[in-house]
Amino acid sequence: MQNTSTVQEWSRMGARGPRQSAVRDRLLRYIGSLLRYAILIFFTLVCITPLFWVIASSLKTTGQIAANPLGFPTEIRWDNYIEAWTVGRFGKYFKNSVIVSIPIVTFVILLASLAGYGLARLRFHGSNFVFVLFLLGLMVPFQSIMIPLFYILKDIRFLGTYWAMIVPSIALGMPFSIFFMRAYFSGLPQELGDAAEIDGCNEFSVYWRVMLPLAGPAVSALVVLQFMGAWNAFLLPLIYMQKEEIRPLVLGLMFFRSRYTQNYPLTMAGAAIVMVPIVIVYLVFQRRFVQGLTAGAVK
Amino acid sequence: MTAAAPVRRGQLSPRAKRKALAGWAFVVPALLIYAFFFVQPFFYSIYYSLTDWNGADPVKQFVGLGNYIKLAGDSLLWQALGHNLIWVIIGTVSPIAIGLLLGVLIWTGALGRVLFRTIYFLPVVLSEVVIAIIWNWIYHPLFGAVNQILRGIGLDHLARGWLGDPQTALLALLMTAIWSYYGFCFVIIMAGLQNVDISLVEAATIDGANGWQRFIHVIVPQLSHVLTMITAFTLIGGFNVFGIVFVMTQGGPGTATQVIATYTYRKAFQESQVGYGAALSMVMTLLSLATSYIFIRLRERQEQ
Repeated sequence: MQNTSTVQEWSRMGARGPRQSAVRDRLLRYIGSLLRYAILIFFTLVCITPLFWVIASSLKTTGQIAANPLGFPTEIRWDNYIEAWTVGRFGKYFKNSVIVSIPIVTFVILLASLAGYGLARLRFHGSNFVFVLFLLGLMVPFQSIMIPLFYILKDIRFLGTYWAMIVPSIALGMPFSIFFMRAYFSGLPQELGDAAEIDGCNEFSVYWRVMLPLAGPAVSALVVLQFMGAWNAFLLPLIYMQKEEIRPLVLGLMFFRSRYTQNYPLTMAGAAIVMVPIVIVYLVFQRRFVQGLTAGAVK
Repeated sequence: MTAAAPVRRGQLSPRAKRKALAGWAFVVPALLIYAFFFVQPFFYSIYYSLTDWNGADPVKQFVGLGNYIKLAGDSLLWQALGHNLIWVIIGTVSPIAIGLLLGVLIWTGALGRVLFRTIYFLPVVLSEVVIAIIWNWIYHPLFGAVNQILRGIGLDHLARGWLGDPQTALLALLMTAIWSYYGFCFVIIMAGLQNVDISLVEAATIDGANGWQRFIHVIVPQLSHVLTMITAFTLIGGFNVFGIVFVMTQGGPGTATQVIATYTYRKAFQESQVGYGAALSMVMTLLSLATSYIFIRLRERQEQ
């Protein structure tokens, strides 16, 4: 587009002079960028408007919803949140979600960074086999193991306790996290570890004092991804965490909705309670999210 | 194994030995938990799929390939697989197309790319249950946005209970899935576009290629790596889709939106046909493994 006002272009345009064609070009470019922003803004609204409806409906009364389902609330009703938190027991479910998410994230990071480091930096007999075994886990969906896992958890008396979610989630987090950490550790310069070793560090302190601190960006990307996974997990708690006292938020929301189908304000308040923490984490750490998800996709 | 040569045949130097031992020590904690809670149940799944078991009996009766023979004649399974097929086709093409469109529009020079990226990705971080509740609301026969808008522009006759109508329920669910997913495709494609050689695009412009030709012949081939990756990822997701369907329609009305994952869940956990459910889960496993295999082969070929 930039180079169109050349001599050849002028001759092709025949009678019309350079000035006219420049005007035409500018007009075309103007329409082009108008169209560009129209599309971009359309999809922006498509993303945001439904979220606006959640927040708006969560602040209305049932009557207001019936009268004006899509607009702003005429009178803001914060009581919906208080009621959802206490009567709807979302406070309890929130606590449950925190109780399971923290150990899941901690142990996934710890175990995966150890194993990723071992596989990346300490070549040992059988390390390839171990790595392939973990990689296979990337291709097998949770549905492939969910049925026997239920009976295993039952046999070891984990069902009905927080462990039924914590421990399987750690195992399920291993393949991707190990893959991710191994790739990162492989990219760090070998000399750093060697130097520390000469200074008298053993393998563990090389990992703990030198390499892990250097892997900060990878670790934080993994933290946000694993937190999102644990916070949003649905099928796993649906099967193993049905007991009311231990339900995480997402599951609590599902059961609340099927019990109070007509109570839209409270359901929406519940949805907002599930949604807001993860949205805040996302907005604060969005660069980490994107890094984590695009890792491996782009070389 | 490294510079430290073996002292004797089959015997490692003390340093290499220590390294190998340390290597195992680093890997073992992850390996144990993974073996017990992932590898073990995987093999049990195969075993269960060869038995007739209701989940309570002390005895699992071995039936060989009986469940698989039953699968072949199970019309509900074939119907569910048909829905998965529709799901993977529409649910893969559309979000990738939207992601490409938005990606190229921004890449070729729009202001505010971080802001757009932030917003487009927002639905991706939401829980499936939240997404389902939002879209149940949007499809609500009376208050829902879709019907409100249709009535507002005078198309009252098109308004309907979108999720209650077997004709529209599956497509309505797909719209939901696309909404929640195109931001992911967009972000990955944007990352891929960072590596596209802009001088090639400029060269094509000088050679007289129009916008569409530049897109198809210059940009898309350079994105092929990224595009195969998301396609594989989305296909696997589509074969295993569960949450949105389960919360929004439970596979209904009737079986109009039953997919293989919801059908498996019903058999194994609601109708106590554990053996048969395990066989169904093996179908999902095979579909995922086959997709991954094709993806890996494609990747290998691209790398050459």
